[in-house]
Amino acid sequence: MSNDILFLAEFTGGSPARSALELATGAAELASQSGGSAVALAYGPGAADGAAALGAHGATRAIVLGDDDRPAIAYAAAVVSAARDGGLALLAPATPNGRDVAAVLVGTLDLPAFGPVRAARFSEGTIETEQATLQGSVITTSCPVDGAATPSVVLVLANTFTPNEGGSGSAEVSQAPAAEDLAFTQVTVAESHEADAKVVNLEEATIIVAGGRGVASEDGFGPLRELASALGGAVGASRAAADAGWIPYQLQIGQTGKVVKPSLYIGAGISGAIQHRVGMQTAEHVVAINKDPDAPIGEFADLFVVGDLFQIIPALTDEIRRRKGT
Amino acid sequence: MKIVVCIKQVPATGADKRYADDLRLDRAGVEAIINPLDEYAIEQALRLVDDGSVESVTYLSMGPEQASEALRRALAMGGDDAVLVTDPALAGADEWGTAKVLAAALDKLAPDVALMGMASDDARGSLVPGAVAAMRNLPLLSYGAELNVADGAARVRRLSATGYDWLSAPLPLVATVTDQVGEPRYASLKGIMAAKRKPMQTWSLSDIGLSADDLHGAALTRVTDTRAPEEKPPTERIENLPAAEAATKIADWLTTRKLI
Repeated sequence: MSNDILFLAEFTGGSPARSALELATGAAELASQSGGSAVALAYGPGAADGAAALGAHGATRAIVLGDDDRPAIAYAAAVVSAARDGGLALLAPATPNGRDVAAVLVGTLDLPAFGPVRAARFSEGTIETEQATLQGSVITTSCPVDGAATPSVVLVLANTFTPNEGGSGSAEVSQAPAAEDLAFTQVTVAESHEADAKVVNLEEATIIVAGGRGVASEDGFGPLRELASALGGAVGASRAAADAGWIPYQLQIGQTGKVVKPSLYIGAGISGAIQHRVGMQTAEHVVAINKDPDAPIGEFADLFVVGDLFQIIPALTDEIRRRKGT
Repeated sequence: MKIVVCIKQVPATGADKRYADDLRLDRAGVEAIINPLDEYAIEQALRLVDDGSVESVTYLSMGPEQASEALRRALAMGGDDAVLVTDPALAGADEWGTAKVLAAALDKLAPDVALMGMASDDARGSLVPGAVAAMRNLPLLSYGAELNVADGAARVRRLSATGYDWLSAPLPLVATVTDQVGEPRYASLKGIMAAKRKPMQTWSLSDIGLSADDLHGAALTRVTDTRAPEEKPPTERIENLPAAEAATKIADWLTTRKLI
């Protein structure tokens, strides 16, 4: 059994997802503790040409599972074949695609699963993970039971690891073993539709300005976009704003939307219901602007500003532009 | 066409929850509800009955005996019958153990679609549906904002990074749906009365061909420690200031933390 740490490296539109870079660095950190190498399992459009460059972020080897634009789940059978060859742990992004593939591994190979984790380490050759449970009120430490098979499957939230930049390493690329004949390859894309407006991948944003019911209309998001642009961030929303049709569902943060972990989250007109909170509570800094002094978000924000967002946000945007000299 | 909706009984959202001394979740004395995201799976299944594409809906749950209350509540919304898998050997089951049990029960029930919610309120892995699909070697259609079945296949509308896709796979399969399928219906008084007469079976592990030995305590993971999260500094408040002054204070706060 090898001491390698595997990770899923998803490619879209010719380049690696940010999660692939983060997990390359995370896998390299864990591999230095386990005495193995970080090994990418690369799939999706661009994987064949781009896998070697994951070496710059920490990957020692990369196994290319396929280069086609297929649903991630259709690659699960190839991931299973690669995972059979060894490895102590496999890191998967805690996204819908990453969870689909991770779940198939757990069910096919009877593997222990953890996460989404906030930290992972090796202690005496065994992986140990930390996760927030019960809506963030408890931190639990978990490990595999004695005799559990490997690799342990570990779901990792975006921004848990910061990708190493500036490396010049190149991962040694190999082709995947033949994929097993599993039912998942039967999942196909029957139709594909583009959204009306271009949407960003919120999971990758390091600064997010999110709006809720208090933003009151589609036009109400205008000042939030200005602020996000001044800060170099992205706009997100609560479910109430997405349900109202003010913003696309791809930008919804929360239990049934994106789970984000930015360095700065600014919530405007968001009350802070538990369903929203579980999607953003691991943000490093939380600022809330709300006209209701008793809004629940005031209990867990780092900075709570009571006032009218339509007055405060434009003033804040001006002040930030002045300080940045832009 | 037959659907089995898998549901989980969870502590009520916002209820006071804690880990007991044995490092398992202490469920005693905590109000229990149907996992709110499972109600959307129930709603989706019942809509397929309403439009005539599905003939029967069965509910399946794994849990202690009181989980029969959740099944009874689901039956009050609609559907035909229910199965509870309960066994002392299942206390402390993790996602793998839960999937193992549901997969075995689904083998016996043999539905065209095994339908589940996208996540559970009291655990955040969302791995059970995919693991069940893998254990039964069936396709998985996950995170559907809408599900339909026709001509020996099912399709889900799923958000993509830039829009949405319709994913398709042949039946039988496992599917999950999100809260975008539409608001779950309320149980009517008539529905609640009717639910009392709907059949509910209770199965033990041996009824689904498993033994406690096969299941290794129903978990491949164990919790070794629990603790409170790091104390955060108390919330700083800015109140009763004109917008320009509030904005300056916020900008100062951000500058101090090198966020500008």
